[in-house]
Amino acid sequence: MNNTQNGATDSSAPARKIKGPQDFYGGLVLMGIALFALWAASNLSGTHGFSFGPGTAPRIFASLLLLLGAGIAVSGLLIEGEPIQRYGFRGLFFVTVAIVSFAATIRPLGLAVSSMLSFVLASYGTPEMNWKETLIVGGILTLGCCLLFPYGLGLSLDLYPSILR
Amino acid sequence: MTDVIANLALGFGVAFSATNLMLCLVGALVGTLVGVLPGVGTIATVAMLLPITFGLPPVGALIMLAGIYYGAQYGGSTTSIPVNIPGEAGSVVTALDGFQMAKQGRAGPALAIAAIGSFFAGCVATFLIALLGAPLTKFALVFGATEYFSLMILGLVFAVVLAKGSLLKAIAMIVFGVLLSMVGADIETGASRMAFDIPELADGLGFATVAMGVFGFAEIIRNLDHGASMDRELVQQKISGLMPTRKDLKESAPAILRGTVLGSILGILPGGGAVIASFAAYTFEKKISRTPKMFGRGAIVGVAAPESANNAAAQTSFIPLLTLGIPPNAVMALMVGAMTIHGIIPGPQVMQKQPELVWGMIASMWIGNLMLLIINLPMVGIWVRLLRVPYRLLFPSIVIFCSIGIYSVNNSPTDVMLAGGFGIVGYWLAKHDFEPAPLLLGMVLGPLMEENLRRALLISRGDWSVFVTHPLSAALLGIAAALMVLSLLPVLRKKRDEVFVESEN
Repeated sequence: MNNTQNGATDSSAPARKIKGPQDFYGGLVLMGIALFALWAASNLSGTHGFSFGPGTAPRIFASLLLLLGAGIAVSGLLIEGEPIQRYGFRGLFFVTVAIVSFAATIRPLGLAVSSMLSFVLASYGTPEMNWKETLIVGGILTLGCCLLFPYGLGLSLDLYPSILR
Repeated sequence: MTDVIANLALGFGVAFSATNLMLCLVGALVGTLVGVLPGVGTIATVAMLLPITFGLPPVGALIMLAGIYYGAQYGGSTTSIPVNIPGEAGSVVTALDGFQMAKQGRAGPALAIAAIGSFFAGCVATFLIALLGAPLTKFALVFGATEYFSLMILGLVFAVVLAKGSLLKAIAMIVFGVLLSMVGADIETGASRMAFDIPELADGLGFATVAMGVFGFAEIIRNLDHGASMDRELVQQKISGLMPTRKDLKESAPAILRGTVLGSILGILPGGGAVIASFAAYTFEKKISRTPKMFGRGAIVGVAAPESANNAAAQTSFIPLLTLGIPPNAVMALMVGAMTIHGIIPGPQVMQKQPELVWGMIASMWIGNLMLLIINLPMVGIWVRLLRVPYRLLFPSIVIFCSIGIYSVNNSPTDVMLAGGFGIVGYWLAKHDFEPAPLLLGMVLGPLMEENLRRALLISRGDWSVFVTHPLSAALLGIAAALMVLSLLPVLRKKRDEVFVESEN
């Protein structure tokens, strides 16, 4: 979180109207989040007399975020800034898939199968993955986790698939 | 003064129990172990290891977490010297001169000076916490809801001003965090807010879940952008001769002292904590040095000062947390999360009602520092070997470890999915140069801010002017406003950026 990767893409697009796309779109998305929060809190009752209702604070902060988002977007429009950085989809995709797979399988399949599966899926996140290494390290790690979490730390986790239990 | 000694005695009594010593040791070791790993920062380390402390009693859990924290801090600097990879942001500057020293075959003395500086700073900081703890707590107890709200605003302003990058974006992140904290049941009315009838959201977004997503998963995805092979410039020669020469010691002693003072002050201020402390100490040393050209070419003071500063700051940042209940930075925000899980609400009340908890933790910090000094120097070889673990095997392991950790908090698969979602959010934020740390701070302070704002306005019968008519509150807000204005002045802005730029070229 310390270093920002600058200049991931070239900024030679001809005659850009938006001077700082990174900030411009960042601000727009924040505004979207704020609007979504305003909508989500719209059914909550507001201030009643001089006491806050449950909806008051969410509305205050969502409106604040809307303003700040607008400010950031406008500054991105007017002030020369960074271009949009390149997204690496491979890592994003496989890491997310591995997490989702873990969430989906931990209950029915148990820790042993689930963590091994996620390990393999996550490994695909880089083109450098090789099968032999992944299986060996994944196996050792799975074994380690199966010993550490339920036994070492006393957490209640199911180890095996539910059919075998 | 007798108070301080009595409190410390109580603390050492708690910390010296066999279990707590063990937990301190394990925490420090595991923290170092994970902190050493490349691409895993301090915050990610603490977030990742948070779940393993859930099964412990509160005192033990906090002692272990504190151990993990400074272990991680320490691990980060350990690797930045023999290998040019700062394990965490705070040791970026250590790498500048430390690695040069290692290249000249002086890795041993560099590591030793870093350790000695850290230990000295740790001792001073521990004493400072003990000294300031009691009076600040008394001070905090006279605070009403109005003052508390203003204090939090001041804290957040500090955090924004001292952080890197755009003010506007940092404030936006805080507000986003506050908004996230409002998901779930309203404290006063119990009404379900923005939870869309999802049962897992009824209690609000889990703090560990968001932290793990934004710091753990997002960081992995970001690292993968550059491909898994990070370039590593390992110094191959064996590390021999740990002891610094007499000349080294004589040169470093004043630097360690200055670093400690600077770090202690910056640590108490909300905001940068350890990171800014080390940057500032390095810049300061370079400025007052008679041989500024030596910096970046293996000047030992360039290792001594930032290392002492970041350790001092890491510890003094506990002061606002323990006395006022306000976390000054993201790691402390995580500590709040951990405390809340154990049913402890940090603040002046804890200091009074559960003194053994607070003082036990403070005493354990000193012990932990001593342990790190004794254990880590001889173990440097092992830590360095860990760096040879390729990232392509490391990151899937971290994914699994984090997933199990989040799942085990509530045995809820939905939490794992949410963390994955926040991983994507965190990745997006990073791509648009939004800092995740203020978000976390906002999320922790959100409920406190809302509660105090509500109470203050209820007492004043809906009159917003109380915040400026109460003298103490007005003073706090005045300082906050002044800070904002000051930080917007172009001259100071340039100075602030200079401090951060130091590391990047």
